[in-house]
Amino acid sequence: MLKDWKKVYRKIRGMRGLSEGEKIMIARSLAATPDERWRMHENFLRSHGLFSHWQRKASGFKW
Amino acid sequence: MVGMSAAIIQGVPVTTLDTDIWVDLPERQYIRLLNLVNRQGGAGLAPTMYALADGSLVNFIFSMTGLKKFAAEYEHAREMLWNGLKIRVLPLERIYQSKKASARDKDMAHLPILEKVIKAQKRNEGKKKR
Repeated sequence: MLKDWKKVYRKIRGMRGLSEGEKIMIARSLAATPDERWRMHENFLRSHGLFSHWQRKASGFKW
Repeated sequence: MVGMSAAIIQGVPVTTLDTDIWVDLPERQYIRLLNLVNRQGGAGLAPTMYALADGSLVNFIFSMTGLKKFAAEYEHAREMLWNGLKIRVLPLERIYQSKKASARDKDMAHLPILEKVIKAQKRNEGKKKR
């Protein structure tokens, strides 16, 4: 679950080629359940007013 | 489920504008998918692209570049629980393979993050590096 992300972070913190920010972002994403991951993705789109096809069309997107 | 939506539910921290669903149907039968979407209150935008009633987009895929046939990939797909449903998702390594084979700019842009998460996932699950 998302709240357990520090456990995942401890396992991946030695990885090379990742910034600290990337390690935290990936640890949070891997710790989350599939539903939590999907909710984060949808929340991100909603926060930018880009969730629905019609909102995106109004913003100039093709789809 | 395939593409970046499948990557998202496996832990890749990205976003996407549509959900790619690989269907084991000949493309000429797309009308069956259109009817299904219409019955749910959605609408067809193009032969493979549909807007569902909530405005989210679904893209039905009939063949995947760089991968084996549907049945062979389906056999090795990961089973996951998502939105209360048991679904099959294309594993991250296979998503990486298909994006690399497609080689469009938008596919190539996803390769670095896919690679990083595949490595992190292996570490997290305690698998040794190949």
